[in-house]
Formats: sequence, structure tokens, C-alpha cells
Amino acid sequence: MPMHSTLDTRDSILQVFDSFRDELDDHNDRRERLIKSSRDVTILSKKIIFLLHRIMTEGGSESDDRPLALRAVARAKEKLREIQGLFEGMRGELTGDRFWRYQRNVSPGLQEYIEALSFAHYLEHESLISYDEVQSSLCDTEGKPFFPLPLEDYLLGLSDLTGELMRFAISSISRRGGRSKASQVCVFVRGCKADFEGWTPYFRDLRKKQAVTSQSLQKIEDVAYAIAVRSSEYDLPPEILDDIVARTVSNMASGGNYTGGKVTKRQEFDDGEECD
Amino acid sequence: MDPHNLEVINDLLDKDVEIREKIKDQVTEFDKKTRTLAGMLNKIHSTPSDKISSLLVSVRPVLESCRETIAALAELVPPNQFWRWKEMWSISLRNAVFSATLVEYLESGTLLSLPQVSDILGIQEEWKDRFVLTAEDYLHGLITLVNELSPDKNSIFVKDLFAGFAMLNLKNDTLRRRYDSLKYDIKKIEEVVYDVSLRKLAPSSNKSSA
Repeated sequence: MPMHSTLDTRDSILQVFDSFRDELDDHNDRRERLIKSSRDVTILSKKIIFLLHRIMTEGGSESDDRPLALRAVARAKEKLREIQGLFEGMRGELTGDRFWRYQRNVSPGLQEYIEALSFAHYLEHESLISYDEVQSSLCDTEGKPFFPLPLEDYLLGLSDLTGELMRFAISSISRRGGRSKASQVCVFVRGCKADFEGWTPYFRDLRKKQAVTSQSLQKIEDVAYAIAVRSSEYDLPPEILDDIVARTVSNMASGGNYTGGKVTKRQEFDDGEECD
Repeated sequence: MDPHNLEVINDLLDKDVEIREKIKDQVTEFDKKTRTLAGMLNKIHSTPSDKISSLLVSVRPVLESCRETIAALAELVPPNQFWRWKEMWSISLRNAVFSATLVEYLESGTLLSLPQVSDILGIQEEWKDRFVLTAEDYLHGLITLVNELSPDKNSIFVKDLFAGFAMLNLKNDTLRRRYDSLKYDIKKIEEVVYDVSLRKLAPSSNKSSA
């Protein structure tokens, strides 16, 4: 046991450093594996978000988009299970005190997953997924969590959801019934933003994301304003109004520089070092 | 957001805020102690060799007083959350490692191992998911130690440590940066020693021991 005795020779010192090397290598390898898994989760999550947007705009003329939403959610749930499988696979690397050691490396994927999960949840229930619901989506069949869900990742994932919802509102506004859908989304996002405001002092990334949410809100309010003004000026039949709305939206999209409100995810593709 | 969920979130947040505040208080204490230690140990450069041991005797109790703070920190950290909070005290802990290893080196000319430093700081085995001395913190302490020792008088020890560091595959982190900058410092000092001795400017006998 060279570690327990005083190191008084070069050999004993080198022996100790040898074990440090193994320990550090082991740590770095594990971290790399987790960063890779987190990236896989991110990629799959983005695909789910695209899928949801795609199916929701497929409907075209259907006035009731409820069946559409349920179809989209059913497809998304299959893919979400795939991600849950990835998290289950990471479980072994994250047992005991290890989870918090690698939390920063796992969190980009986790946040993206929460964004996709909460988007599907919104389309199904028109409500915000709760902390407990997200945590229980990351549990095994016996209800044991793969790892504890950090509050910060939950809130930041939801904050990204607001950006997706605004994009969803904008793209559905030109469809029949889209205007009331858009204002419904607006009310919902405004509610989320108000709820999150109180937590910004505790999470610096949340503050940045709140600013992005404000921008998204501003954009959709501009559209809603344009529509309200036009429809009050002329007593137009609904289909002509739909036309005007479609034009306004495409103007917004080309000239308004609408990006859907994303903060670049920090640490997503770097090696996971703290960069703040 | 529904009221139950708000409650869940605020409860989690309140708990974390409370833990953070309490840890912060202990870290302030810890920091005071390690500053005192650093101040005392600073004197080794101006203390004649025959007075060194009495200086070290006075350092010991301060070093041992860190145990109390460390125990309080271990008590505050929830199970399995060591890595979540450790950055709050890592600077203080690294300074404590530095102080402990410097005292030992001055007394016996040997290097304290990581478990020995843990013992001196009173870190218990059963705290391992709440408070441990990690290899990284220990190695940071050693770099500070090498920084403090003048290489001309401690060249074998410093070289052995350097041989050790050279074995590690350090990632691009602070440990790596400190190790790299130390290499340049030492090279610079070696040049000074060379210049001074070449011109016979150095005194022939050494008054201090570090």
C-alpha cells in the first residue's frame, strides 16, 4: 500500500502518479462516452421536434387539429421511448455520486429531450409537463429513477419549449382556426414566461432564454396585431382574410427574420469543460 | 403552471438555496483558516533553518482546525451530491493540501500521500459521496507546493514530482495550465540560478531552508 505510507523515494512517487493516471484516464473516458450519448439524445430529440412540426402542418384544411395532434404525439412517443432507452443505458455510468460529476456533460441532451417531451405533452394535453412527470419518464419499470432530474435542466428544457410553440403558432396561423390557436399559444407562452421570471436569479441561462422568449412573443404579437387591424378595417369573408393572413405571415418569415427563438446550447459540441 | 408543480419546484429550489447559503458560511471559515496558514507558511523563506521547526509547530494547530470546518461541510452535503457542491470549497481545500504537504516536506523531506493528507484533514471514509479529497484537488495542492519551493535547494524532490506529473494525461483544464506554466517558471528560475552561480554572485551558505 504505497498510498498510505509517506512517499520518500522517486519510485514511490511515480507509483502513486501511476494510479492517478489510471483514475484520470478512467474519468476522461467515461466523460467522453457520456458526452457522446448526450449528443445522440440531442439528435434524436431534434428529430422528434421536427416530426411534431411536420405532422401538425400536414393537415392543411382540417378545421379540427385534435386528431392530427394525437397522431403526431403517438409517433413522437415511440421515438421518445428510444431516447429513454439511451438514458437507461447511461444509468450505469451515472450511479451514486457520479451523476453530479457528469451532470454538465449530460445536460445538453437532457434539456433537448425535455423540450421534445414537453412539446408532445403540450400537443396532447395543452398544458405544461410537470417536474414529476418528466422525472417519471426517466424511471425504470419499477419506478426507480435512472438519475435525479436537475431542476435547472427541467426549467431550461421548458424554456426552449416556448420557442417551439411560437414557431408552431406562426406556422398554423394561416390555417383555418389557426388564429385562435395562435392566440391560445400566446396566452400559454406568456403564462410560462411569467412563471419562470421568479427563478431567473437562480439560473443564469434561464435569464438569457427569457429574453429570447420575449422576442418570440413580440413577433407573434406583431402578426396578431396586423391581423386584428385588417379584419376590423374591412368586413371580409373568412377565406379572403385567410389569404391576407397567409401573406402577412410569409412577409414576417422572409423580412421579419423569424428564427424560432433559440439560444445556442452551450457545451453541446465542446468537450464539456465549464465555459462560463 | 399548475399549483402543485409550482410547489414542487419552489420546494426543490428553497432546499438548494438553503444548502448553498450554509455551505457558503463554512467556506468563508475554511478560507480564513487557509489564508492564515498561507500567511504563516510564507515566513519559511525568511526564517533561519534552526527556527523552522518551531514555526511548523505553530502551524499544526491551525491546520488541524480545518477538520472542524470540513466535518461541517460533509454534514451539509446531501447524499451523493459531493460533485454538485465541491467547487464551492475546492480553492480552500487545495490550499489546505498545500499547507499540509509543505509542513511535512519541511519536517521530513518527504511527500504526503493523498490518504495521509485526508487523514490530517480529518476526512472520513464514510463521507465518500459527500466529501472526499479528489486526485485533482490533491494534485493542485502539489503544484502550489512546487511553486513555493525554490528549485535550486529542492531540485531532487521537485524533479521527482515533475516526473510524476509528466505521467498524467492531463486534459485541457486548469490543472494542465498550472502544470504547464510551472514548467516555464522553473526553467526561468534555472536560468537565473545558472547565471548567478556562473558569475559567483550567490552566497556560499544558505540561510533559509526552503
